[in-house]
Amino acid sequence: MRNARARSSAGSMPTRGLSRRSLMQSAGGLSIAAAVPFALTACGTSGGTTGGKTAIRFLYATGDETWNSVAKGVADAFNAKSATAIVELEPLPAGTDYPTAMKTMDATGNWPALVDMRDTLTYLEAGKLAPIPASVTDLLNDEVYAPVEDGDVYIVPTTALNGELGFNMVYDKDYFAEHSLAVPTTYAEFIALLDAIKANGDAPLATAAGEIWPSDQLWKPLAAPTFAQYSEAGGFWNAVRAGDASLADLREPLQRLKDITDEYVLEGWQSTQDAQTTTLLVNRQAVMATSSAGIGRLNDVNKVDPDFNAGIFYLPADDGKLNVLKNSVNGDTASGFAISAQAQEDGKQYDAAVEFLEFYFSVEACDLMEETGMIAPNIKASDEVVRNSTIPGAEDYFALLANPSLNWFANETTWAGFSTFHTFFRQARIEMQDGQTTIDECIAKAQEEFDNQAENE
Amino acid sequence: MTVQTAERPAAVRGGRARPAPDRRLTRHRAVMLLFIAPALIVYVLMVIAPSIQSIQLSLTDWDGINPAYEYVGFANYQDILTSDRFWNATKNTLILGLGSAVVVNAVALGVALMLDKLHHAQGFFRTIVYLPALVSGFIAATIWKYMLNFNFGAVNTVLRDLGFDDAAMDWLGDNDIVVGVLLFIICFTLGGNTTLIYLANLQSVPQDLVEAARIDGASRGQVFRYVTWPMLAGAVTVNMTLMMIAGWTIFDQVMVLTAGGPGFVSETMAFFIYKVGFGEYRAGYGSAAAIVLFIVVLATTVLANKYMRSREVQA
Repeated sequence: MRNARARSSAGSMPTRGLSRRSLMQSAGGLSIAAAVPFALTACGTSGGTTGGKTAIRFLYATGDETWNSVAKGVADAFNAKSATAIVELEPLPAGTDYPTAMKTMDATGNWPALVDMRDTLTYLEAGKLAPIPASVTDLLNDEVYAPVEDGDVYIVPTTALNGELGFNMVYDKDYFAEHSLAVPTTYAEFIALLDAIKANGDAPLATAAGEIWPSDQLWKPLAAPTFAQYSEAGGFWNAVRAGDASLADLREPLQRLKDITDEYVLEGWQSTQDAQTTTLLVNRQAVMATSSAGIGRLNDVNKVDPDFNAGIFYLPADDGKLNVLKNSVNGDTASGFAISAQAQEDGKQYDAAVEFLEFYFSVEACDLMEETGMIAPNIKASDEVVRNSTIPGAEDYFALLANPSLNWFANETTWAGFSTFHTFFRQARIEMQDGQTTIDECIAKAQEEFDNQAENE
Repeated sequence: MTVQTAERPAAVRGGRARPAPDRRLTRHRAVMLLFIAPALIVYVLMVIAPSIQSIQLSLTDWDGINPAYEYVGFANYQDILTSDRFWNATKNTLILGLGSAVVVNAVALGVALMLDKLHHAQGFFRTIVYLPALVSGFIAATIWKYMLNFNFGAVNTVLRDLGFDDAAMDWLGDNDIVVGVLLFIICFTLGGNTTLIYLANLQSVPQDLVEAARIDGASRGQVFRYVTWPMLAGAVTVNMTLMMIAGWTIFDQVMVLTAGGPGFVSETMAFFIYKVGFGEYRAGYGSAAAIVLFIVVLATTVLANKYMRSREVQA
């Protein structure tokens, strides 16, 4: 107690122990000390150099292990080869949804040079992206990229542009063979298949909504026949915006979503994460699992259990058509590589990003991607790429591409506010699937949100 | 007038004039201000200025990305106050805020009373009780997420192995229980500090008062009711206030464990603000929600504090 009081007294009489001058110097020193972290922070955001090379960051969305391996493999190969640049991988944390992570990154003003882009229109309109030069686009087939209104290209694909063909059902082929089950060719056959598996006392389908976005994996193929009807007219969402369609037109697919969830989906889907569905399948806790990774998911299954005999099919419509979304290479739904405007301001970072993209679209890198289990992007030198046909089940994916029932459709969203609605709609659907709201309530809620967002545009 | 009177003697003496007390005080204040200036500048730049700016942003339709935005008046506030999603988040925040404040304080007081009575290994048990508070909320939530996983988690595995299959639940996916599970995890993580504050206060209760009460024939319960409990009034105020503020701003546990789901059912106000502002590109709307949260926190904290302070006076 005495010591405390003595210290307190000393504090109240500064002129005795410390001169005013020394106090001023101390205070000034503190001010500088406080400023140092800011200076250091400012230095840390630019990327800088590593061993004389320009270091750039590559931010990408994780999800399936195959894409993670491809990103790492190509970056490592590039880093070993390049004399001027080095790519540092920056995976988005698992469990975060993409818009949240992107917005958080944007709020820090700390953009990586290379971004695995979503919600492209939002960021393009905000001036956050830099044009991709002809030295990159010249390596690609003409149909997989396109300039926007200002004549520049801002996004190029990370993988083969097969739309949403990767939104598959992954299934246990041995189980199908054992129980004389066949891949369904119509929606009715699909329901019959689910009934047959359920009758065997097994869980037909594992799906995930723990991270919100995987809830699309079951929804999108179910809604595809409705969306496809509006393909020629500019897409369903634009029709809703124009008043030519409404959310009520999605009642049937929403009803099907609810029925499948209630009757056939493995319990616990609300908190299950995307990657866990692979484990559920391989552990034989479910006979089928939803996926949006196409061959990548087959590769994951093969890694977890090389003896597991996996196959994939796409959910057919009532008429047997396989309606698959394939939007134009621009628009808000376009995804792929983008270079940040922040990198362009830096100059060196932009050059390094361009160098990496030139490598990414080389035959050498494409071979590496195929070897790792991902279908390489559509480059002009595709004939020279060594295709990987060793992944069990991959033949099912290639068969889908050649399936006569395959019907590509477009559902463009040409307004940035759709991203906001899209996130909301996912959660509203999960809420409905979970029984917290009725289908009518879900439709009304989603329509209100859609109208609000459209009005704000 | 006073200053002139004070300066005159020094001038008359012709010696070196000593600084007048007021001027000296001003200089001392200047020096003190200089010391706090770095922290103050950082605080103003990082907390106060953005907070004030959020009032302005709450009146706009800013998406948080595009530098261009328009003023929309009070439309964001109108949307928020008529949104079921917002009121659900408010309800959850109240449940988690008040619930964790009451539960944590009750449990922490009980644990502190037990620790106070311990004569052996008190340090060891005190460490055990405090350990969960040393783990960051994010890490603790991640561990709980693995433990509570429906298909692979330790909790359900143990329940199934013991034959209680029906008791195995989707702890983080069942909309009927998910808020309760969040409350449990939050209480588990936040109890350490509260316990230590109670323990410190218990150990400072004058033993002569306790002994006097016992000599007067008071039972253990009566000693607690009439001696110990009134002496803890200050600690109760501090702990309840801290816990309520922590409860109002619960975010990381929700973010990691449920992401507000399934659907919107477990969103809290802090998470709602983050979600709409960052995940849904509605920074203006999120700012308006933040202003509403600020008002709610301020009002409830002031009211609760006022009540507890009045209780202290009575004690």
